[in-house]
Amino acid sequence: MLAGRYYDGRTSRAHRVQLTVQDGTALLEGEAERAVPLDALRVSERSRHAARKVTFPDGATFEPDDQHAFNSLLEQTGHQDSSVVRAHGSWRSVFGSLAAIVVVLALAYFFLLPLLADRVAQALPASAERQLGQGVLEFLDRRALAPSALPLQRQQRIAAAFAGLHAPHDGAPPYRLLFRKSRIGPNAFALPSGDIVLTDELVQLLPDDGAVMGVLAHELGHLHRRHMTRRLIQGSAVAAAGTLLFGDVNAVLSGLPALALDLHYSREAETEADDYAAEMLEDNGLSLSSLEAVFKVLGQLDKSSVAYLSSHPLSEDRAARIRARRGD
Amino acid sequence: MQNAAFQEKFVEDGPQQVSFSATGGEYFRIWIVHVLLTIVTLGIYSAWAKVRSNQYFYSSTRLAGSSFEYHGNAMAILKGRVIAVLLLLGYQILSHISVSMSLLMLALLLGVTPLLLWKSLQFKLYNTSYRGIRFGFDGNASEAYTHFLLLPLLTITVVLTPFAHQRLKRWQHRRSRFGTSSFRFEAPVGKFYLVYAIMVGVALAAIVGLGLLAFAAQTSAQNLVWFALLFYVVMAALSPLFFTMIQNVIWNHTGLREHEFRCDMKWGGLLWIYFTNMLGIIVTLGLFTPFAKVRAMKYRLESMSMIVNGSLDGFVAAEQEQIGATGEGVADFADFDLSL
Repeated sequence: MLAGRYYDGRTSRAHRVQLTVQDGTALLEGEAERAVPLDALRVSERSRHAARKVTFPDGATFEPDDQHAFNSLLEQTGHQDSSVVRAHGSWRSVFGSLAAIVVVLALAYFFLLPLLADRVAQALPASAERQLGQGVLEFLDRRALAPSALPLQRQQRIAAAFAGLHAPHDGAPPYRLLFRKSRIGPNAFALPSGDIVLTDELVQLLPDDGAVMGVLAHELGHLHRRHMTRRLIQGSAVAAAGTLLFGDVNAVLSGLPALALDLHYSREAETEADDYAAEMLEDNGLSLSSLEAVFKVLGQLDKSSVAYLSSHPLSEDRAARIRARRGD
Repeated sequence: MQNAAFQEKFVEDGPQQVSFSATGGEYFRIWIVHVLLTIVTLGIYSAWAKVRSNQYFYSSTRLAGSSFEYHGNAMAILKGRVIAVLLLLGYQILSHISVSMSLLMLALLLGVTPLLLWKSLQFKLYNTSYRGIRFGFDGNASEAYTHFLLLPLLTITVVLTPFAHQRLKRWQHRRSRFGTSSFRFEAPVGKFYLVYAIMVGVALAAIVGLGLLAFAAQTSAQNLVWFALLFYVVMAALSPLFFTMIQNVIWNHTGLREHEFRCDMKWGGLLWIYFTNMLGIIVTLGLFTPFAKVRAMKYRLESMSMIVNGSLDGFVAAEQEQIGATGEGVADFADFDLSL
């Protein structure tokens, strides 16, 4: 016998009742009288701290006073909780879930997502990628870049030399080489639109045109490997997952890990572009020492902390990777 | 024994504090299983996770001896979320393709947002019950546009912001009902202006104070970073101040028939919970999240009480049909906080 309150679903009146179970039928007696077969009733899920109720087919509810007595009554009548609810109750499945989450997330982050993003990026027509970068160059020209002050002859010599090199893999995208004077320090970058921007400051820092070829090959690598699109896909996926998991607490907090995780993808893309550049120089019979010279220059820039963030691997590591390649 | 149970008289008359019996530990176990299932099903389970969590929270909330109940249907919520994802994805893609398309899409989204928010309110309240009686939300489309589109536009004038806020809350509370009984809302506009004035005053004082401190300490360029950080922390501490003041004003002027509500939130208490929660989440790389959620909910809910005048027996259920969940899906994604 179980004391509790019964609400008929039509008014908020609390009826004092007693619940008994006889031959598969629930009987209510007291201020309300009812007899309903057990399998027509719905019982809310088991939990230690929340109230469990019985819901009748017409929406009426019974709320027992004593939850423990109610739980043992349910056990006697053979009530089974769903598997998910049983999982909530056991610490073993809780720690199992935690371990499984870590494994699944790590697999997705290190293997699945890069693979998927690569496939999608390769399948995307080049014209779609161009759309992504629309307007970026105009914006940069207005804010951060000025027309190049490099002698036209030098510009033409660099452009002709790079045009004379062939890509290490088939299907290299068309590109446009642009010379600009920079207000943000020495830099070179590729835009999804296919524009490779080379700043005067970087050209002047590099020892010779061979090193410039290394930089340009690196940027062509970014274009060829569709790095912008891949990072856009990966970045959105990571951000979406972060919001899904932790978004209901703090928007800024959920964004931070996404930012940190994106840097890993960024460094990976840089390494891939370095390898591409090395392959391209080798294929064209050029010395890798010029690429090494680039990293030496960048290494000095790191120290004075200009333009290059930790979105790139350490210049020493990049140089070491090239040296190892030469040793092969 | 039987007699004792029958003779028990409910003493509901007088102040009844809301109690919240959920614990961080129990919610953690529910949450971790939900996170795994959500990941494995690529987000599909999130709708069921929401229903299960809400059922846990609602049944843990008690007022005058009875608990609340959540009735949301997971399948309906899933449909709402799928539509929300498609809408946002469409917007994302179109906004990359051309500026005019993205503007068009943005206008379209803004155009339907009031309707969706209204539907979301209806869904939330309709799927909540207490003592076997469902809550509900009335209002119509034109009211939704007035309060979710026109009133926010008034905030451009700055001085009309407290007025807009009061009108929004007035509409929200007066259109909410428990069964057939609508809530009352009698907070005067002046009280909203007072809260905003205090906020502006405190913020100005904090800025001037920090500025003087920086000046007196002969701050060098490097120390300036620390002052900027201090400034950020001070400003972050002000948001719970606003929240407590406005919640207290709103609920202390809300009633239901002959009954009144009381809200007694304290700035210090909420501030402590905010900061320790944030710290806990950072230190545990997110694992503290369910504990944080329960702590914040417990503080907010247990600050509330109902001054019962007589008995809570006399409410009558209303006839109503189930509400579509598209609005709820979008509101979930856009992270609108309709409680403010």
